[in-house]
Amino acid sequence: MKELTCIVCPVGCHLSVDESLKVVGNRCPRGEKYAIVEMTSPKRMITTTVRTTFEDCPRLSVKTKEPVPKSLMFDILATLEGIVVEKNVKIGDVIVADACHTGVDIIATKSISSQGVNL
Amino acid sequence: MKDYIVIGSGIIGALITRTLSKYQVSVLVIDKENDISSHQTIANSAIIHSGHDPKPGSLKARLCVEGNAMYDTLEHELAIPLLRTGAYVVAHNNFEEQMLQELHQRAKQNGVLGTYFLSGDEARKVEPRLSETITKVLSLPSTKVTFPWEVSIHAISNAIKNGAEFKRNAHVISIKKVEDHFVLHLKDGTTLESKHVINAAGVMSDLIARMIEENPEFEIKPRKGEYFVLDRKAVGLFNHVIYPLPTKAGKGVLIVPQTHGNILLGPTSYEISDREDESTSREGMKYIKEHLKALSNQIPFDMIIRNFAGVRATSTYEDFYIQESKTYKGFYHVAGIDSPGLTAAPAIAKYLVEEVIRIDLPMKPDFDPIHQPIPLFHTLCDVQKQIEIQKHPKHGHLVCKCEKVTEQDIINAIHSPTGNDTIKGIKKRARAGAGLCQGGYCESEVLKIIARETKVKPNEVNYYAKNTPILVKETKTK
Amino acid sequence: MKTDLTIVGGGAAGLAAALSAIDPQLNILIIEREPRLGGILNQCIHNGFGLHMFQEELTGPEYANRFIEALKDKHIDILLGTTVIDIQKKTDFEITLTSEANGYQHLTSKAVIIASGCYERTRGAVQIPGERPKGIMPAGSAQRYLNMEGYLVGKRVFILGSGDIGLIMARRMTLEGAQVLGVAELMPYSNGLTRNIVQCLNDFDIPLYLSHTVTDIKGKDILEQITIQQVDDKFEPIPGTEKVFEVDTLLLSIGLIPDVGLFDSLQMKKSPITKSAIVDQTLMTNVEGLFVCGNALHVHDLVDWVSKEGEKAGKTAKAYLLEQKHEEKDLKSIAPGSNIRYVVPHLIDYNHLTEPIQCAFRVTKKMAQGQFKVVQNGEVILLKKAKHIAPAEMENLIIKPEDLKSKDPIEIHLEEIV
Repeated sequence: MKELTCIVCPVGCHLSVDESLKVVGNRCPRGEKYAIVEMTSPKRMITTTVRTTFEDCPRLSVKTKEPVPKSLMFDILATLEGIVVEKNVKIGDVIVADACHTGVDIIATKSISSQGVNL
Repeated sequence: MKDYIVIGSGIIGALITRTLSKYQVSVLVIDKENDISSHQTIANSAIIHSGHDPKPGSLKARLCVEGNAMYDTLEHELAIPLLRTGAYVVAHNNFEEQMLQELHQRAKQNGVLGTYFLSGDEARKVEPRLSETITKVLSLPSTKVTFPWEVSIHAISNAIKNGAEFKRNAHVISIKKVEDHFVLHLKDGTTLESKHVINAAGVMSDLIARMIEENPEFEIKPRKGEYFVLDRKAVGLFNHVIYPLPTKAGKGVLIVPQTHGNILLGPTSYEISDREDESTSREGMKYIKEHLKALSNQIPFDMIIRNFAGVRATSTYEDFYIQESKTYKGFYHVAGIDSPGLTAAPAIAKYLVEEVIRIDLPMKPDFDPIHQPIPLFHTLCDVQKQIEIQKHPKHGHLVCKCEKVTEQDIINAIHSPTGNDTIKGIKKRARAGAGLCQGGYCESEVLKIIARETKVKPNEVNYYAKNTPILVKETKTK
Repeated sequence: MKTDLTIVGGGAAGLAAALSAIDPQLNILIIEREPRLGGILNQCIHNGFGLHMFQEELTGPEYANRFIEALKDKHIDILLGTTVIDIQKKTDFEITLTSEANGYQHLTSKAVIIASGCYERTRGAVQIPGERPKGIMPAGSAQRYLNMEGYLVGKRVFILGSGDIGLIMARRMTLEGAQVLGVAELMPYSNGLTRNIVQCLNDFDIPLYLSHTVTDIKGKDILEQITIQQVDDKFEPIPGTEKVFEVDTLLLSIGLIPDVGLFDSLQMKKSPITKSAIVDQTLMTNVEGLFVCGNALHVHDLVDWVSKEGEKAGKTAKAYLLEQKHEEKDLKSIAPGSNIRYVVPHLIDYNHLTEPIQCAFRVTKKMAQGQFKVVQNGEVILLKKAKHIAPAEMENLIIKPEDLKSKDPIEIHLEEIV
């Protein structure tokens, strides 16, 4: 039995799920679906930064383009450790393709250039 | 080999150093901390008392009244702020009015000038937020307020200009008398030598004394005082220092307008065992709020921006202990300097040098008593601002908006002869982070400026003491 | 320098205000103190912004970028790295600016929108007892150091306050290798979004201690230890409930306060609750031509609402500037009634009432179900039911001109439905 809080809407139902994936505590069908996904293949967006060589912007913010398996979160973060951005980047540019063979790219969420940020 | 080493750069040590720097001697002032004045001097009421309270005939009474007058000279010589507030001591009933009369007698005996009485109503005309229950007030017009650590910093700056030296992170762990001089062993393994030593170590002064003599005549019984600070926008809510009647424990919980517009509320007063325990407590904060009710019901507690505590170097000797060591000639103790120590400080320095040491040397012909600090930008008039900003474009960058501190102000605070390279050191000198948001807004910028100006990495910039970096680990460095 | 409309602050509120004020007849100037636009969004690299504005989930920098892109090639001037240090109202507004590039500059403007955001409540404001070592800072400061500069402020962390910034930082610091030992919240409920409790705390098994507060701090130079204690219903610590944590960092996420400290010369009338200006439904203050919006007016829960309020201010400021003559105002209060902490706008100007009034407010109590009542002259003129009402969330209510029965003051109440 696993206890979860549903985050599909602001109600925040307290859900219980057993091994056979039977869900109780949900007030709507979306809660059941949420609980089953959380139990079988939970996914999360990762937002973090990578290093740059730009003096006025030492870190570039990035995100996974899609949610990725929760279990791979720290593995994906580890792949970003060695990355150093040295050239201009536009918002949406791929920083790491196919992170940990998830098929999901890691993309820049900010543009940086030698003329400054936001340009 | 120095002629004089002063242990402790609190306001006492600082003013002693400056006084010694008038003479043809070499002087070094040392502090165990990473900055000038890190304890009692930065955590007290900031009042230049009139001298109404100490026991007549005591050294405290004499040096308090003398010191009060000397601040008028220091104001010009050292460019320190002085707020001429005057003070009211309040009484609520016949019994307290009787005590107020006695206090008045004591003030007169101590030589305090210009005192007079006001009725409760007359006092409320001047200070409309005073409690309705106050029936009579003793007015002490010579009471003033200063900015204590600026006095220290400016005094040491002036002493340096006149040849003295300052050394921080110099923590004395033992002292030996060798032939005609003293050897001070420091925690970092180095030694310092001096013909004379002045122990101005505040709450540590009995520990220093015990390094050279077995049974000093005084022992420090540290007393803690907790305070609240109101935001500078409280300026004008009270214009006088407001005292209740003094008790054995001290002058009680006060209302003190500060030189930068803030209002200080407190202190508590209780004995503690750990002389470095500068923690605040829930009980202390309640005590202050409770006791303020006797002074005013109109204190905006929602304007509190900070609470802090200081430890006073109260000693078993009752009076200030300013004497040469009974064991070793040339070693002087300036100890047990609790209230009114800040007020008495300039007089203590003079008394020590002229009446205890009885220095018998010519003054330096070129001694310059004037210290001219670079003023903070926001204190300049518009015309001066225009001139300064042309010379220093970094005055155009406002870093701390609560206290209106510019990047150039911070650069000046770092590079002055008594400058400091820590977040709190900059706050003490330029006031960046001393305002409403307490540095939430500007700390990261101050940190970057310190790193750039002192050529270190951002994670090597300390909060205050050595090895207190704000940033502990750089990310993505594998 | 001369302009028609000056917008102080280039963050979420200011950018939206500028976009909605654009008009061929108006010169508009945005003044931003940072070297880039976007404000606090630049350090909020997590996602979840924009669901209401753009129907998608964006990170803070991406959300800001939508507005920055929209401003390109528009008839708007932008001054970066520039701080407004004083505004005085004469016939027009006389504004003093400062920057490293240009020194002191003076500017005349016909109208001003203040969109200067908010600052974080500090340890001093809540009077946490204990020692004062390094290692205690607002969560937003730690966020800036981590996301913008690339440094962790500590390795073993405790967080006081369950505000969203604190929750987000619990996750961020964990992902960067720090250990977050717990979050203490004074109230019996969380002050953050459920989503953040789940994805920032539960995902990493970080405990949340409700009805707890920090009662002691130990460490002379560096933070070494904190003590938390459970509190009773009067928020007094309960003896015997002490829990001790060995940490080097205490982040504070204990609330935000509108930041209008630089504008004292304007003598805006202020609300003691929101600590910012009192405005009418056009977001105009008692100073004619002065508007305030976004977190500089009151603290919002979602950036989307900040942008919407910015849009409103931009539109009404534009209307004010384009209108030739200004009628006298007929101001009446919109007062917070039972279970309501504050309402913005605080006033209705009946002489300029053409559009529905967008009321934003906060409740004082958590309720599973309740109804909001708009009352005028003792009569309920509008009723709105709501579920899951919480002080952490901003509530909205629209009052249409035709809902109003007279030109008298109104009140908004919240009634619990059991």
